[in-house]
Amino acid sequence: MSTANATVPERLFGWLDERFGVQKLVDWAKHKEVPVGGHSMFWYYLGGTTLFFFTMQIVSGALLLMYYQAGETTSYESIRYITTKVPFGWLVRSIHCWGAHLMTVSLVVHMFSTMFLKAYRRPRELTWVVGFCLFGVVLGFGFSGYLLPWNELAFFATSVGTDSVKSVPFVGEWMLEVMRGGPDVTINTLYRFFALHVVILPLVTVGLIGVHLAFIQVQGMAPAMKQQTPDRPGLKFFPDFMMRDALIWLCCMIVLAVLVFQLPYGPGVPGIDWELGKKANPLAPAYPGIKPEWYFLWIYQLLKEFPPHLFGMEGPQAALILVNVLMGTWALVPFLDRKSRAGKPSPMFTDLAVAALIFLSYLTLKAWDIGGHLPAGEPDPKATAWVCSLIVLGVSASITIMRMIAYKARWFILSMAALLQVVLNGLAGLDYLIAGAIALAVAVVGVLALGDRLERGEAI
Amino acid sequence: MIAFALLFAVVSAAEPKLAKAAEVEAPKAEAAKAEAAKAEAAKAPPKDDGALPEAVEAFFEKKGEDGKPVLSAAERALVKKLPLHTREKLGQAAADGRVRSPDHLKVLLSLELSPQSADLIFTDNCVLCHSDPGHAKRTRFSLDPKTAGTPERLNLKSMLSDAHFRRGLMCVGCHGGKTTDLEMTEEISQGWPDKNMRPYWIPQFCARCHADPTFMRNFNPSMPTDQYAKYQESRHGELLLKQKDRKAAQCVSCHGLHGIRGPKSRKSTVHAQAIPETCGHCHADAKYMAGYKRDDGSPLPTNQLEEFKKSVHGKALLEKGDLSAPACNDCHGNHASQPPAISSVSQVCRTCHVMNGTLFDGSKHKLAFEKHGWPECAKCHGKHDIEKPSIDLISDAKDGLCGSCHDEYSKDNPECNKGARYFHSTLVELTKVQKAIPPVAEHLAERGLDTEPILISAGELDEAIMQARTRVHTFDKGGFDVGATAGREAVEKTEKLIAEAHAERAFRRKGLLASIGVMGLLAVIIWLKIRELDRRRAAERAQNKP
Repeated sequence: MSTANATVPERLFGWLDERFGVQKLVDWAKHKEVPVGGHSMFWYYLGGTTLFFFTMQIVSGALLLMYYQAGETTSYESIRYITTKVPFGWLVRSIHCWGAHLMTVSLVVHMFSTMFLKAYRRPRELTWVVGFCLFGVVLGFGFSGYLLPWNELAFFATSVGTDSVKSVPFVGEWMLEVMRGGPDVTINTLYRFFALHVVILPLVTVGLIGVHLAFIQVQGMAPAMKQQTPDRPGLKFFPDFMMRDALIWLCCMIVLAVLVFQLPYGPGVPGIDWELGKKANPLAPAYPGIKPEWYFLWIYQLLKEFPPHLFGMEGPQAALILVNVLMGTWALVPFLDRKSRAGKPSPMFTDLAVAALIFLSYLTLKAWDIGGHLPAGEPDPKATAWVCSLIVLGVSASITIMRMIAYKARWFILSMAALLQVVLNGLAGLDYLIAGAIALAVAVVGVLALGDRLERGEAI
Repeated sequence: MIAFALLFAVVSAAEPKLAKAAEVEAPKAEAAKAEAAKAEAAKAPPKDDGALPEAVEAFFEKKGEDGKPVLSAAERALVKKLPLHTREKLGQAAADGRVRSPDHLKVLLSLELSPQSADLIFTDNCVLCHSDPGHAKRTRFSLDPKTAGTPERLNLKSMLSDAHFRRGLMCVGCHGGKTTDLEMTEEISQGWPDKNMRPYWIPQFCARCHADPTFMRNFNPSMPTDQYAKYQESRHGELLLKQKDRKAAQCVSCHGLHGIRGPKSRKSTVHAQAIPETCGHCHADAKYMAGYKRDDGSPLPTNQLEEFKKSVHGKALLEKGDLSAPACNDCHGNHASQPPAISSVSQVCRTCHVMNGTLFDGSKHKLAFEKHGWPECAKCHGKHDIEKPSIDLISDAKDGLCGSCHDEYSKDNPECNKGARYFHSTLVELTKVQKAIPPVAEHLAERGLDTEPILISAGELDEAIMQARTRVHTFDKGGFDVGATAGREAVEKTEKLIAEAHAERAFRRKGLLASIGVMGLLAVIIWLKIRELDRRRAAERAQNKP
C-alpha cells in the first residue's frame, strides 16, 4: 500500500509503528488464541469480569475521593454529603458498594471454577498462587473500606473484627495496636485504613494483576483436562474473545445499573448492607447482631462455634489457627494435587472443592441465623442449625446426583464427610467441633481405604 | 590542718569508751526491742485464720434425725465469709443460747446477710429470739410467713430491708426495752395501748419522730415533718381521729409495718407505681367501702382503680413506667388526702397541664362552665377514666362531645357548632397527612432518596398539630388558627418536598432506562459483530479444509 493512498488511521498506525514497532504487538495479538472444547467457554470470562469490576471500583473510588474527607468530624459527614447533596453522589457510592460485592462474587466463582477445572495444574501453579494473593487483597479492601463511612455499624464491626487479631500467639497484642493505631479503634484506625484502602492495596493489586496477566500471556489460558493436546484451533483472542468479553462486561454494567437504582443501599441482608445509619460513637454500647461482610461470615461463625478454651489455647486462637491452615492448604492446592500435575484426573480435589463449598455455606447460613428467628429475643441457635443443615443437605444432595449423572463422578468421600458434620451438628444436635472431628476421622479413613479405588473412571 | 588533727585525736580517744558502753547497752536494747514487738503484736488486729467459734462449730457438728449434719458446707462457707468480729458476736450469741440451735442458725443464714446486717442482727436479742423456729408462731419472724403459718407482718426478710431498721432504729426503738434484754421485760410494750385502741394511737405514735424537725434532721434533712398535721386535716384523719372510725387509713395502712421502705424504692407500697394498688386495697373493695358516702349523699364508688388503670394516666404510669404520670396522691394529696372539690379540680389538672388551663381561662367557655357549675377539665375529659383525647371528642356530631352539649345548651347559636366543626375538620385533615408521611418517607429512603428535609418538615407538622390541639381550649377560631396555620404551612412544605423526591426518583428511573437502552444497543451491535465474526471463521475453516 502506498503512503499516498493510506487513510488517516493507517497513517497514524504507520507513524507509531515506525517509532515503537507496534506491528509486532499486533502480529502477536493476531496469533493469541483461547483454547476451545472440553468445557464451557463461560469459565474463561470470569477473570475478565473480575477485572472489569475492579476497574469500576477504581473509577468510582476516585470519584468518591473528590468529596470524601477522612477525619473524626468529616468522614461520616462527607459520606452523608456525597449521598444527599453531591449530584449523582448516591449513584457513585452505590456503584462502589455494589461493585465491591459483585467483584468479590466474580472472584470467588473464578477461583472455584479454576479449582474444579484444575486450571491451576502444571505449569500454572504460580498463576493460582498470585490469584490467591489477589483474593486476600480483595478481602483486605473489603475490611478496610468498611470503616471509612465512620458510622455505628462500621465502628463496632471493625472493633470486633480487629479484636480477633489479639489471639495470634506472641505478637497478637502488638498486631492489634499496629492495626488500630492504638489499643482501641479510634480515628487513627480510620486514617490507616484509609491509606491502606486508597493507596497501599490498589498499588499491590495493580502489581499482582500485572503479574497474573503476564503469566497468562506467557503460558496462555489453561486448556480443558480432556484437551491437553488440542486437535482443533482455538478462539482468536483479538477480536473474537475480546468482543465476547466486552458483551459480558456490558451485561454486568446493566445488572449493576439496575441494582444501583433498585436497591441503592444493598438488599438489606446483614453483611450486604451499606445504609449509613448513625455516626460512630465510641462511648455508645455495642448493639447485638453486628455481623461482618458476607465473605467474612464463615470465620465469624467459626469463632462462635469454638469454646472459650481448647487444647490449652484460647478458643479464638484455635479458630484462627484452623482458618490459617485451611487457607494455606487452599493456596498450596496446585502443589498438593499430584494427579492433575501429571495430567491425570484428580477427583479427590474436585470433591475437596465441593466439601469446601458445603463447609463455607453451612457456616455462612448459620451466621445469618436463617431459620432461627423468634418473634422476640435472640435467635435460637438450635433452630438455626436445624434449618441450615436441611438447606445444605438438600442442595448438596442435588449437586451430588448431578455430579453422578452428568460427570459420572464416584468420588464423594470429602464432600460426604463435610455433609456428615452438617448432619451431626444440625440434625443430631452434636457440638460443631465434635461433629467436625468425627467427619475428619471418617474422611481420613475413607481416603486411605477407598481413595484410589474410586478414582478409576473419573474424567477430571 | 591543726583543727583536723585535734578532732582526730579526740575521736580516737573517745572510741574505746564508746565501745565499752555499747557492750553494756546491747542486752538492754534487745530486751526493749522484744518488749516493743510484744506491745506492737498486742496492738495489731488478731490474725483471722477463718476458724469458727466453738459454740458455732458445735452447731455444724450436730446431726439431724436422718444422721446427716443439719448445716451444710455451703452454710459453713457463709459463716466463714463474715468478718472476724461478726463471727465472734455470733459465737457469743450461740454460747449464750440466744442462737439456740442449728435450725435457728440455718434460718438466719438463709437471709444471706451482708456483714453489716449480720452485725446488727447478732446483737439484737429481739430479732434473735423472735426468729427461733421454736418460738411461738403468733410472734415469730419467719422467712415465708405463709408456709410457716406466722403473721404476714412478721416477714423476716422484709423486716431486714425496713428503712428504720437499716438506719439503726431497732425493735426497741418502737417497742421499748433494750436490745440486750433476754426476757420480755415490763418496759417492753409498756406504752402500747390495747389492740382495739391501736389504730387511733398509731398516727401520733409515728409523729413522735416524724413531726419533730430537729430529730428528723439527723436522718433526712429534706424530709417533711408536717405529715401528722396534714393527716389530722385529711378525710382519713377526720374519720379516724374525730369520728373514731377504725377502718379509716392511718400510717400503717399505706406504709406497712415492719417492711417500710422509702417512696423511691420500687418495692415500697408508696412507690408511685404501687400507690394505685395501695389506695385500691380499700377503695376498690366494695364490701370494705360500703356505707361511705360522698358529700351529696351518694355512695362512694369503688371503681376508681379499675378506671384509672384504663386511663391515659394509668397506662403511662403502670404500663409505660412514666413516673411523671399522676397516681392517686398527685391529685388527692398524700397525707392531706381529700376529694378535690368542683372549684379545685381544674386547678389540680393545671399543675401539669398549664397551657391548657391558661387558654381555657381566657375562653368563652369559662363563663359558661361557671354558670352551670361544671368542673372545668373533668366535664369533658372525665376523672379517673381520662382517655387520650381523640379528635372525635370535639366533633359537632350528635354523639360528639361538643355537638351533644351545644345541641342542649346553645341551640340558638349556630356559631358554636360551626366552630366545633372547623376545629374538628382541620385537625382531621392535618392528622391524615401526619399519618401518611412516615410510610412515604420510608419508601423514598429505601430507594436512596434524601428524606431528611421531609422528616424535619414532618416534625414541624407534629409540633403544629400539638399546638392546634392545645389551642382548641381557646374555643376561638383566631386562637386555634395560630397552631392550625402553622400546620397547614408544614403540610404544604412536606408535600412539596415529597413531590420533589418523587420527581428525583422519576428522573433516576429515566436515567436508568436511557443508560440501559444505550448499553443494550451497544450489546446488540457487539453480538451481531460476534455472529458475523463466527460466520467468517466458519467460512475460513471450510476454505482451509483439504
